[in-house]
Amino acid sequence: MAWTVKPSATMKIPQRDEPYLTAEMRAHFEGELIPRYEQKRGALLPILHEVQHAYGYIPHQAMEEIASLLEIAPADVLDTASFYEEYHLEPVGKYVIAVCQSIACEVCGHQAIVDHLRQKLDIEPHETTDDGKFTLLTLECLGACDGAPCALVNDDRHDHLTIEKLDEILDGLPD
Amino acid sequence: MPLTAPILTRRIPTPPWGEMKDRHLVTYDEYVKTGGYTVLEKALALKPAQIVDMVKESQLRGRGGAGFPCGLKWSFLPEPDGGRRYLTLNCDEAEPGTFKDRLLIDFDPHLVLEGLAITCWACQLDTAYFFIRGEYREQIRTVQRAIDEAYEHGIFGKQGLLNGKSDFAVECYLHRSAGAYICGEETGLIEAVEGKRGWPRVKPPFPAVAGLFQRPTVVNNVETIACLVPIVEHGPERFTQTGCASTIGGPPSFGPKLMGVSGHVARPGVYEVDLGIKLSTLVNDHCGGMRGGKAFKGAIAGGVSMGCLGPDQFDAELDFDIGRKYGVMGLGTACPTVFDEDTDMVAVARNIARFFTNESCGQCTPCREGTQWMYKLLCRIESGGATSRDLDLLLELAGSMGIMPGTTICGLADGANWAVRTIVNKYRQEFEARVKPAHVPVTVSARAVAE
Ligand SMILES: Cc1cc2nc3c(=O)[nH]c(=O)nc-3n(C[C@H](O)[C@H](O)[C@H](O)COP(=O)(O)O)c2cc1C
Ligand code: SF4
Ligand code: FES
Repeated sequence: MAWTVKPSATMKIPQRDEPYLTAEMRAHFEGELIPRYEQKRGALLPILHEVQHAYGYIPHQAMEEIASLLEIAPADVLDTASFYEEYHLEPVGKYVIAVCQSIACEVCGHQAIVDHLRQKLDIEPHETTDDGKFTLLTLECLGACDGAPCALVNDDRHDHLTIEKLDEILDGLPD
Repeated sequence: MPLTAPILTRRIPTPPWGEMKDRHLVTYDEYVKTGGYTVLEKALALKPAQIVDMVKESQLRGRGGAGFPCGLKWSFLPEPDGGRRYLTLNCDEAEPGTFKDRLLIDFDPHLVLEGLAITCWACQLDTAYFFIRGEYREQIRTVQRAIDEAYEHGIFGKQGLLNGKSDFAVECYLHRSAGAYICGEETGLIEAVEGKRGWPRVKPPFPAVAGLFQRPTVVNNVETIACLVPIVEHGPERFTQTGCASTIGGPPSFGPKLMGVSGHVARPGVYEVDLGIKLSTLVNDHCGGMRGGKAFKGAIAGGVSMGCLGPDQFDAELDFDIGRKYGVMGLGTACPTVFDEDTDMVAVARNIARFFTNESCGQCTPCREGTQWMYKLLCRIESGGATSRDLDLLLELAGSMGIMPGTTICGLADGANWAVRTIVNKYRQEFEARVKPAHVPVTVSARAVAE
């Protein structure tokens, strides 16, 4: 839920010495992304995507670094990052399985897919397996309703899912 | 005169014009070989105002949901003052049931980019952001590649449109969203491009006057923009020969339309048809009929926000009159989700209410709280724990939220309102069968007893 309140006032931010934004990333952000926007903050969404791509999630220290790069408050970065469902503020599994739960997928049998995943992985939606391999998500419409029921496994979309097809996909993923 | 050949899907084999299995990505080279970017050249030979007039004459209506006349929207732009002016192309497509824009960017992204360049010329916009939803992972790569190709071949960039054929230069950037339905709303989208949470703005001012970074901004849907290519290529008159006129004295629904059909049909998919096609024709002639030969029970009109067509509305014409004629909010994205006789409509309503609960941005109390209440009430009705009073409360809540009752900033709440009300009203018996009669406490005063 986009508007859930986060306990930012009492938050302690773990710090590491090495910055999350590497020199190479900074050069790319400053040379490529930021000039695309009339105001620096416009580059925030693309930068968050790239940080998440590099680290799998967006650490709070990285948000502080982004804030100073864009000359905005760290709270502004958190405000934006926490609004969008796709940004992970905590580490997630190596494979994020996102099953569509919207109307076309529900009437075409998404529940069986979700139930099978819950059993097979022994987790509930929005949890990660202990070995850190899988995170299970249920999302709203993926824009692939002609392929209902469907799911994203990381960047790959799989349509017309059946339990057999799902097993085949998951069993084929390297550790 | 109905469509005799595909227009928007000319290069994409799509039933009934071609087989889906023959589809492939149309690259820059193939696009140009098949006449691509010649329409942009033609547009550049015209004055911007002439193109705006052509769009007005074509009576093109927005394909993103509201059906607002495109030429009229453009005419709200102020005269260029030397400052920046923006196009934000809306490829958020997060409305459940909707996947029509995906067809274009999956297979023919340059058609969209050509339309985008024409729009920028017509409205004198120097920067375009191709705003795409984050879940379109594959499509993000395809569009980025197409934009790179367009730059390589001088369509965009400092030298001016189309390799400097025009002095007017346009920059085009991909802007990837990150999973928030509300960023499809035009001002939510603008906030997202500014790097903020996608909270819709109070209007006025409208984006045409003060949009992105407070500058004049045009927000258009991908399919609307793609329609520019045939309008400029063949002239507005040809465009008005497809689609249909209004049968109730309203504005017409001209042009071809991409309709994405999902749910219980034999062949779900996107079909290019005339506006005004009957839902039953679309399902029976194009989608291979109902799945398993089952009977039709209802359909989401065009994205869940629009509400539901009832069991007796299978023959509804899919055009912009649909709202007034069939008791739904409107045509929306013209992507129907079809339900067969075995569908539990209480579960359908519950699913849709959950969607709006999850996607409400939380700014307006009637929407933030109302969607949650409706979802909880529908869960209770579905599980058999509700009374008939809950049903009344549900309808009261639904009817009180939205721009139309005047209680919210954006149309998300109207979507929740219409979806729930139309389903409950059109399938009332199903809901009543699930609720217990309300206990009505009766108190009798002592005096009444004495008398
Ligand atoms: C909650 C909400 C979500 C919307 N989502 C989309 C969307 O995903 N894609 C889209 O093109 N328009 C969407 N719209 C409509 C836009 O606000 C806007 O009207 C449209 O992009 C204008 O383009 P058009 O005139 O070309 O249709 C949405 C509107 C609302 C209220
Ligand atoms: S109506 Fe709902 S989604 Fe729209 S601005 Fe208000 S709270 Fe946000
Ligand atoms: S409803 Fe599942 S992809 Fe659209």
